[in-house]
Amino acid sequence: MAGGVIVVVAGAALALAWRPALAPIAPPPAASFAAQQIARGAVLAGAGYCATCHTAKGGQPYAGGYAMETPFGVIHSTNITPDVATGIGAWSQAAFNRAMREGVARDGSHLFPAFPYEHFSRLSDDDLVALYAYFMTRPPVQAEAPRNTLPFPLNVRLLQAGWKLLFFRPQRDEPRADRSAEWNRGAYLAEGLAHCGACHTPRNALGAERRAQAYAGAEIDHWIAPPLDAANPSPVAWDVDELVAYLSTGVTRYHGTVAGPMAAVTRGIAQLPAEDIRAIAVYFADLAGAAARADATPAAVATALARGAAGSGRSDDAAEPLYAAACASCHYNGADGVNPLRPELALGSAVHLDDPTNLIQVILFGLDALDGAPGVVMPAFGRGLSDADVARLAAYLRATRSDRPPWPDLDKKVAQVRATGASAE
Amino acid sequence: MTIRFTINGRAATSEAEGDTPLLWIIRDDLGLTGTKYGCGIGMCGACTVHVGGRATRACITPLAAVDGAAVTTIEGLDPQAAHPLQRAWRELQVPQCGYCQSGQIMQAVALLQDFPQPTDADIDAVMAGCLCRCMTYVRIREAIKKAAAAMAPAAAPGASS
Amino acid sequence: MSRVQALAEAGHPLSRRGFLVAAAGSALAFGFTRLAGAAMDPAMPGNTPAAALGPEFAPGLWFSIDSEGTVSVNIIRAEMGQHVGTALARILADELEADWERVRVIYVDTDPKWGLMVTGGSWSVWQTFPVFSRAGAAGRLALIEAGARLLGVSPAQCTARAGKVSAGSRSITYGEIARRGGPARRFSAEELDRLPLKPVSERRLIGRPTQALDIARKVDGSGLYGIDAKVPGMVYARPKLPPTRNGAKVVSIDDHAARAIKGYRQCLALDDPSETVTGWVLVIADSYPAALRASRLVQVQWTAGPGADVSEPQLQDHARALIDRADAGVRLDVGSEDPAPLFQSAASIVEQTYTTATVLHFQLEPVNALAFEKDGVMEIHTGNQWQSLILPTLAKALGRAETSIVLRTYLLGGGFGRRLNGDYAVPAALAAKALGVPVKLVLTREDDCHFDSVRSPSVQRLRMAFGADGEVQAMEHHACAGWPTQVMAGALLAKGLDDGRYDPFAIAGADHWYDVGRQLVRAIPNDLANRSFRPGWLRSVGPGWTNWALESFMDEAAHHVRQDPLAFRLQRLSGKGRNAGSAPSAVGGALRQAEVLRRAAQRAGWGSALPKDSGLGIGTSFGQERDMPTWGACVARVRVDRASGKVTVEKLTIVVDAGTIVDPDGALAQTQGAALWGLSMALHEGTEFVNGQVRDVNLNTYTPLRINQVPELDISFVDSAEVPVGLGEPATTIVAPAIANAIFAAVGVRVRDLPITAAAVRAALAT
Ligand code: FES
Ligand code: FES
Repeated sequence: MAGGVIVVVAGAALALAWRPALAPIAPPPAASFAAQQIARGAVLAGAGYCATCHTAKGGQPYAGGYAMETPFGVIHSTNITPDVATGIGAWSQAAFNRAMREGVARDGSHLFPAFPYEHFSRLSDDDLVALYAYFMTRPPVQAEAPRNTLPFPLNVRLLQAGWKLLFFRPQRDEPRADRSAEWNRGAYLAEGLAHCGACHTPRNALGAERRAQAYAGAEIDHWIAPPLDAANPSPVAWDVDELVAYLSTGVTRYHGTVAGPMAAVTRGIAQLPAEDIRAIAVYFADLAGAAARADATPAAVATALARGAAGSGRSDDAAEPLYAAACASCHYNGADGVNPLRPELALGSAVHLDDPTNLIQVILFGLDALDGAPGVVMPAFGRGLSDADVARLAAYLRATRSDRPPWPDLDKKVAQVRATGASAE
Repeated sequence: MTIRFTINGRAATSEAEGDTPLLWIIRDDLGLTGTKYGCGIGMCGACTVHVGGRATRACITPLAAVDGAAVTTIEGLDPQAAHPLQRAWRELQVPQCGYCQSGQIMQAVALLQDFPQPTDADIDAVMAGCLCRCMTYVRIREAIKKAAAAMAPAAAPGASS
Repeated sequence: MSRVQALAEAGHPLSRRGFLVAAAGSALAFGFTRLAGAAMDPAMPGNTPAAALGPEFAPGLWFSIDSEGTVSVNIIRAEMGQHVGTALARILADELEADWERVRVIYVDTDPKWGLMVTGGSWSVWQTFPVFSRAGAAGRLALIEAGARLLGVSPAQCTARAGKVSAGSRSITYGEIARRGGPARRFSAEELDRLPLKPVSERRLIGRPTQALDIARKVDGSGLYGIDAKVPGMVYARPKLPPTRNGAKVVSIDDHAARAIKGYRQCLALDDPSETVTGWVLVIADSYPAALRASRLVQVQWTAGPGADVSEPQLQDHARALIDRADAGVRLDVGSEDPAPLFQSAASIVEQTYTTATVLHFQLEPVNALAFEKDGVMEIHTGNQWQSLILPTLAKALGRAETSIVLRTYLLGGGFGRRLNGDYAVPAALAAKALGVPVKLVLTREDDCHFDSVRSPSVQRLRMAFGADGEVQAMEHHACAGWPTQVMAGALLAKGLDDGRYDPFAIAGADHWYDVGRQLVRAIPNDLANRSFRPGWLRSVGPGWTNWALESFMDEAAHHVRQDPLAFRLQRLSGKGRNAGSAPSAVGGALRQAEVLRRAAQRAGWGSALPKDSGLGIGTSFGQERDMPTWGACVARVRVDRASGKVTVEKLTIVVDAGTIVDPDGALAQTQGAALWGLSMALHEGTEFVNGQVRDVNLNTYTPLRINQVPELDISFVDSAEVPVGLGEPATTIVAPAIANAIFAAVGVRVRDLPITAAAVRAALAT
């Protein structure tokens, strides 16, 4: 089936394939950009967490070379410092805008859709000007990206044109009249710069977001990006306050702390002005239908706390001593309510998701001081516990903290997740 | 890669591999041997330190995880070793062999931050991660309550008792 | 013969008399200088004893007084949580009339002059009391005489108190007396023996509350344990352990992959003439993390020694087979005729078999040692409970004289008998010798458990013969287990009947104080256990299993004759004949055991109604041995969940009579710890051998008691002026049988295997 699709793509591609190169320019001097623009660009670049993908592990900021594992192979990000030879030093504002909005490089070649130009196509001219100002004033770094490992024919950049034909719908920001200005601002940021759907929306066999299932949750980078719509399984709805706390601090009362690839996202979005963060929160709280569920929060919290007590000596589960010794010191909450720095496992999404990956990830590898609650560490229990221990814990938490059916094949799943952690001992 | 953090308020750097357990950096490189090694798998609590003010098992915390963080050990808890918990620990003569006690105290400090007047259930749940092989548990419980009482606002100097 | 007698016979000056003479034999001379920098004071920074100020008065081995009046008491026992230095120093300081504020304790390093150095068996206070009280009393007399001379009065006009000699309104401090040359006084051994000790009413320190001297440094992190020892230039070692404890041989070592590890130095296959660590390979590195990393990459091939495939069921089956054989093991002399005929004629017989599973020490500080050669002496810095046992082994391993080896004992992060076996010192010393640099060996927790000297699994068969009227006529107790003393300290085996030799540690407790008519006690070594691993002494040793069987069985016997278990026991604790007890330590005999039983029962509300599925059970013991009985009784209140079989212990009521209590708070602490150890081993611990290895090597599966499992404790002591006896172990053994008996009282099922599992209770309830 996939082969057939590719044939179609290849045929269609020829029509659209060639895009002209845009003339190189001499890199504009830093002084030619207004300080204010640069500063705004910095915030926007943060909120778009450009650095996350455009910086290699331990490498120079924005110099590219970060390896992204995709279902199709490894793609390396490009150098977006103003280096003329290897970066975007010779790119005009027009070339920059075309790349952002259409996924075409200055020389006319097509960019892989791992670069979320679908989302960036929404960005306003003003925002693009600010971003351009910011990037063109970064220190140039000479760095050639490593070769990608996409198999033929996916490695043919020309084919990307066909992909675009099939899936790419340039978006322009079209405010909805039936929603508040705040909501619309949130939608603009979330759909565009923050490109939330890139992770949280499932993709089809060719890697395109399935628009019909926007925000239904997806697997990304060995983590699960949970659904952001009404299907989100957290017992307490993601309301505006929880979302604001999450996006600006990484720590919430009822949804735990940020973890995994989302940690860097939060760090970026946290740089936005408070009203922008709130706007994003308003947008997603609406998407999740939080308002309708608000009344259910106290009961959900009470249930969770009662379940939490099962981990402090009252259960006959064989895994209970393991939980009591390894986890409760930090995750226990008394009867009086949830302390945000004691993430309540019965409330977080990890034990409620259909897939145990997130829970296993955090148990095995923990969280460093940068991720999660800032300055706080969750140790890497995978260093001491066996796969069987972790599987026992996960099964125990699933059984005692959630109403959902047991996770199948946990031992195997733990081994799989462990194998993805290169730094694990 | 250099990892920078603070230890008991002082700047520290380490060039060790990022996956080196923080415990050995603290004990062997920084010479702060009050933090102990008991199990190495995060289940005895002897290695408990504070990272960002939260009790953390140093034996399974990779060095890289504390980049930029503030680490406190038993030696840095109080310059005179006069934290109310340490006082209570001495008054009630909690330690037997003493090997677990740095970790117990660091965990108890964290406990009282979150639960200033802990119930038995709070103490049991939070302290269960700290094994005392000498089984000084009865006194640990008493000492925590004693310190909690001493730290309560009503017990502050000047208040009537 | 008890284990104390066995030690004395083996040439150790451990008998009370021998110990005292040895102490006094070194004479009350002046100017004895301490081995500078070679001893430890856990109350001082860096554990380093403060230097003496000015001239010192050092009358004999046990203490000295410097010119500032600081009294330094030399302690040969290891500090492992008992606050032993404080208790012993108070015995001496009390008789000396020292100012307690000026008393320091010094944990001495090994030197032949100290005689036997061992900390175990709950012996420390019991053995030291007579020696230290006489040393203190002699010092007091000498100081009074010297003080009188300096004050120009007669000794009769003087009193000593709080570090001063006073006559009327004039006084002179002990420090001043030391500064001015000290007393010139000698005591013969006979004089020492006859010295007047203070009457009990004059005691000012013994029995009074105090702050133990080792506490402060265990609260601020500055106390130094073996694992904290360091010297410049030391390298770190982690062992690769062979597949068997005995007889393994290294075939090949491949460290190819390890060479990529930064800081990795080399692998060292140990050649150990003492055969303590046969087949061990040490991975040497510049840091411990590097040693750990490298050790995971080093591949060693061994040929295994005996026991490579031994399993717990095999060990237990072997024990059962040995018990079935009449010629196995050794019968103890319990002063009885052969009970066999009475079993033939008995109206009824009760016979039951009890087992205990393998138990780990799991002292929290994994074993470790730092060894280096300095000035022709091999110094070993470590925590150790039985220096006198490991020194000859070290001498053999290193091929050098014992006198050129010194053990410096740090604080012990838990002993519980694990560190009676000092095996871990040997690989460190061998490596230091081979490499010529200081070597710090640290076993990981997993290593520590793999080669722990575990408490051997045991099987016991008990029988009782009854007459037609239900009268107890005879009893047999057959106990089979691995024998630590046979494996590690063969000279200390005791003599049984027919010239048989047995491990007194492994059977103590079976020679109880109950009147049971004719009695047979048979100790059987499990040779398969002895070959396959290294059985160890674990807190209470033999009574840990003998008392489990005995006290469970006494309940079963009581129920057999439809008697209340308490009444049945009290009736047998009549204190008649052999059980009358004798001076010095066992005065009162079985009557004292009956008294603690009665008190515990009363405090616990014995006989009162309890909620459904709850019950009270009783267990009692005389502690470690008949020559040094510590009388204890425990009543456990349990609740059983019939559905899951889960047993919840709600309360333990314990009464102990340990004679004079030197340090009341320390005594309570020891008893709290011992009782909870007993609970832990009853319900939460226990492992098993699988393919020659213990199944559990860390806390993910080995689950000692934690704070959330601690029941209410009611512990009290009998007020007594009798000889002070041991406290570290006795309460350990009375808890498990009390729980089993309480389970029977609660739901009517009998468990006979330790640990008691929910599954076993559930299964018993189902039948
Ligand atoms: S040594 Fe870290 S928890 Fe045990
Ligand atoms: S005091 Fe010894 S382990 Fe806690």
